[in-house]
Amino acid sequence: MFVVNQRRHGNALEVRDLVIRYGDVTAVDGVSFAATFGEVTAVLGRNGAGKTSTLEACEGVRRAASGTIHVLGADISSISNDVRARIGVMLQDGGIAPNARVRSLVRHYCTLYARGVDADELVAKVGLHDRRSSTWRRLSGGERQRFSLALALAAAPEIAFLDEPTAGVDLDGREMIRGIIADLVQDGCGVVLATHDLDEAERVAHRAVVLHQGRVALNDTVASLCAGGRRLEDVVREVTR
Amino acid sequence: MRLVAAQLKMELTTLVRNYEQLLLIMVIPIGVLVFFGNVAVLPDSITLTRLVASVLTLSLISTAMVSTGIATGFERSYHVLKRLGVTPLGRSRLIWAKAGSVSVVEFVQVTVLVAIAIGLGWSVAGLSWWRLMLALLLGTAAFAGIGLCLAGRLRAEANLAAQNGLYLVLLALGGVIVPVDDLPDGLGAVARYLPSGALAEVMHASLGGTPSGVWLFVDSPLGAWLVLASWALIAPLAASRLFRFDG
Repeated sequence: MFVVNQRRHGNALEVRDLVIRYGDVTAVDGVSFAATFGEVTAVLGRNGAGKTSTLEACEGVRRAASGTIHVLGADISSISNDVRARIGVMLQDGGIAPNARVRSLVRHYCTLYARGVDADELVAKVGLHDRRSSTWRRLSGGERQRFSLALALAAAPEIAFLDEPTAGVDLDGREMIRGIIADLVQDGCGVVLATHDLDEAERVAHRAVVLHQGRVALNDTVASLCAGGRRLEDVVREVTR
Repeated sequence: MRLVAAQLKMELTTLVRNYEQLLLIMVIPIGVLVFFGNVAVLPDSITLTRLVASVLTLSLISTAMVSTGIATGFERSYHVLKRLGVTPLGRSRLIWAKAGSVSVVEFVQVTVLVAIAIGLGWSVAGLSWWRLMLALLLGTAAFAGIGLCLAGRLRAEANLAAQNGLYLVLLALGGVIVPVDDLPDGLGAVARYLPSGALAEVMHASLGGTPSGVWLFVDSPLGAWLVLASWALIAPLAASRLFRFDG
């Protein structure tokens, strides 16, 4: 169904000394980290830590005050449409109009990305086949998240930026999203995930980058952080106190 | 080109499904032309040519400013523009698709309205097609620029109110329904500087109507063309500086 990505090695994303300012406020202050192909990198932290700002800068939505971001080897500030077509994006706020219909918009995004993804199969994969004619405004919170995720998958991504993909999603929906993320990783996609849900991060992520007050407080593998039976939630709580 | 065509198709499909927009861009202009073309309630100074020019001006403002401005304002507030901006479509192709959508709608509007006008007894004998096209081009640039200035800065609900309010003010007092010569002196003087008054005047002249004398410091329609061209330059420039993709 999806274009199988050629398995790649190395970094799908490299962020160096990233600074983002909103007027006089510095939201992200010298953040550096990398995300690898075939792994999930979770960007964690409290509200206002700079997670969404960092992700949006990596997606090319937000302009950095300084620093460099390379996505799939290309500088995000001058990225070509060919490279952009291989990047999946799921925004925290959806980016979908209330009157947009599931099948129609997914098909449109499949056309824009032109990566050979079949819209009907994609709609079925995110569990919205029975809701394919519904508009965004008629979907539940969990269905909206899966609709938004489908738009990211239309890129058959080599790197996917997913901002709070499980927010407001019930247990079955979470399991489905977890399965989709596992499929992406198996295909060699680098997944960068921003979330508040630390249990979810512990289940799916290989690496955790913890932001605190706009800076990297911790950057390590989840296996190392949770060594000795520690919970990721306790580790994050400790460094963001 | 393929991506622009796909987005253009999406824009037009969305428009056709939006009944409020259809009311604004098709039903109201057609209703005004058919009603006032058949019912003798207008003063004698408003000829059929003047009525056709007014309705074409009204339809252009409806499409280029109000319809585009309101739709874009809501898309901005729902972060649709932000989302599309990070697809391979990108921002520049998105703008081209929106411009294409406005052009297609205006083509349909002009075709339908001119056909109805001919049915009402209006003659195309005095019509200058190239002047009409130039008027449409400059008018679209001016009013789309104004609409996007508002859409790119205001919250969606405030933008909705502002676009509708400005539309009504321009129609009633901006030289569209009532020609600038028939407005009270003060209002008439102001309307000569507005894009609405200037567009109605150049439309009237393009359709073969008699120019309305002196327009600002030169004879009409030259003065009106200059005013409209100035707005067509300034408004898009202002929009390009003021517009924010993310709400």
